[in-house]
Amino acid sequence: MSPGAASARRRLLKRTLTGYLFLSPALVFYLVFLVIPIGMSLYISFRDWNMLVPLTSSRFVGLKNYTYLLTRDELFLIAVKNTIIYATGTVFVGMVLALGIAILLLRVRGATFWRFVMFAPVVTPSVAVARIWGGLYRPAEGLANAILRMVHLPPQQWLADPNICLYSIMLIAIWGGIGATVIVFTAGLKGIPDVYYDAAKLDGAGPWAEFKHITIPMLKPTILFLSVTGLIGAWQAFDLIFMLAVGGTEAGTSPVRSVIVLALYLYQMAFKNLRMGRACAGAFLLFLIVLGFSFIVLKVLRKGGVESYE
Amino acid sequence: MSEPLALPRVSPAGKDTDKNEDMEPGRAGAGKRVVTQRGGQRGQRGGQRGQRGRVLRRLLVHVSVVIIGLAMFLPFYWILSASVMTYEEVTAIPPRWWPADPQWGNYTAVLRDPNVPLFKYFKNSFLVSTAVTVAVLLTSSLAGYALSKLKFPGRDAIFTFTLSTMMFPVFLFLIPVYYILKRFPLLGGNDILGMGGTGALQSYVALIIPFVVSAWGIFLMRQFMMTIPDELIDAARIDGASDLGIFGMVVTPLVKPALATLAIFTFIGQWNYFLWPMIVTTSAPHLMTVPVGLRLIGTAYSTAVNMNKLLAATVMAIAPSVCVFLALQRYYIKGFVLSGFK
Repeated sequence: MSPGAASARRRLLKRTLTGYLFLSPALVFYLVFLVIPIGMSLYISFRDWNMLVPLTSSRFVGLKNYTYLLTRDELFLIAVKNTIIYATGTVFVGMVLALGIAILLLRVRGATFWRFVMFAPVVTPSVAVARIWGGLYRPAEGLANAILRMVHLPPQQWLADPNICLYSIMLIAIWGGIGATVIVFTAGLKGIPDVYYDAAKLDGAGPWAEFKHITIPMLKPTILFLSVTGLIGAWQAFDLIFMLAVGGTEAGTSPVRSVIVLALYLYQMAFKNLRMGRACAGAFLLFLIVLGFSFIVLKVLRKGGVESYE
Repeated sequence: MSEPLALPRVSPAGKDTDKNEDMEPGRAGAGKRVVTQRGGQRGQRGGQRGQRGRVLRRLLVHVSVVIIGLAMFLPFYWILSASVMTYEEVTAIPPRWWPADPQWGNYTAVLRDPNVPLFKYFKNSFLVSTAVTVAVLLTSSLAGYALSKLKFPGRDAIFTFTLSTMMFPVFLFLIPVYYILKRFPLLGGNDILGMGGTGALQSYVALIIPFVVSAWGIFLMRQFMMTIPDELIDAARIDGASDLGIFGMVVTPLVKPALATLAIFTFIGQWNYFLWPMIVTTSAPHLMTVPVGLRLIGTAYSTAVNMNKLLAATVMAIAPSVCVFLALQRYYIKGFVLSGFK
């Protein structure tokens, strides 16, 4: 071997070593708090374990945890259904509203101020958000019904009516998240070069045609990003529903069955019922839903030519 | 951006001179673009009707923005006003929109109440959020440097892995991490095998350590460091600087804005985080953070008799994160924008 090759190899070795040294905190963390826990979760999902005894002395039950969730536990399936309604509803309705608001805000003076106002809920702790809306949604004393009465609409049992309580909470979630979506859409809209709009005008395109043929296609990367990240977060939504249905001052007003989502179901299965095996099996099923929907969103949105976006 | 649209050859003169002058949201100047453009087109067609239609349209846009903005602010207005109402006013039917005589005493009553240790919650939250933020800044920038400025086998695989971890639901980790912390050797009365005690669960470690690495933080730092020209680093290397020296003295000073963004993001996120602190502090009430404590105050102050004080406590719990946001919103909003674009 020539001395040049040997020194090149030594340099590569040194570079590799340096690289992994810089990465070592992250890699150790990933090992201890990511890889090992996922392996453990998989292991636990095949066992009957209550966390009170050492994991090794738990009982192997095969696929029983999974079959229990999918075939014998009605509440789990309700939670899956509610989660799908909640996640897709909050993310996509939120995005439509946010896009409208972002477009409006580009046309007014003082838009900065209004973006502030809309962003404030994003940085508010969710427990506080739940408390505020718990107050607004009070049937007799709440402002929500006062406003409905002002415009001559029938008052609602926002959190107690099983037919609407999930949607009431979704409204809170949209209020809480829309500011961030507006900001991202604003950046996306500002990134569209004016020449496209100018050309469209020369061709006699109206506002709707402009929106459909320029704005939406140009925003596809933004829409893709917002749907994927928004959905990943929304599948795991917990705080608001926990506070309003189970754990807050307004606890008990909402019928748990009508608002339970997977995160709440898993929390109760694990930390209230101490059925760790079932909870871990459920977490893997949730993971499948996250993967599946992310895949669908990528497929649908990539059709329009955003292949280069990752 | 990737749309392969052909650039139109003709563009009306004077319309796009200031386009893209500001990619950053939050400055009013850029917002005028569309208005002037529209106006210009209508103006050319001329005529009083076009003029009136334009004014009407602008008025409509402004009115709807104000209505949406007020609707978004209404919940905050309500809690601010209700927190200085008397109990009778908070629970009045029909509801009151403002207090007859502001009861600032609600706030002092909360602060004096020994059953509501707000300051302890603040201290815990501050400690935990600060520690997590410092750790995330360090681990993210170190990893970001390796992933952007060093070439070695396995680098791209690690980056892809880092991105993919954002897909994992937190519930895949909660139970095992709880158990790992409980069985942490030699802590909290545990023996070397992790038996016998409570492990790391009864200490701040349990609240901090599961968050000291952030995939998003690594991603952000890598993207930012990619923009630093390699020549700069090569020059420093020729001058004899080690990688640690280059990282500390060349790269880090250049990514200060990104570090600021990441710091605020992490701090506020951690301050507001609820699920894990709730699980951990169920058996360790002395570690309760603000959101967990705020939930508990709800049970201490039953809604039935002390709703006004409960709301005052809630306002005080919201204040820090909203104030940090207001003071540093430039960096915070940038984080949201950056996370959407490469």
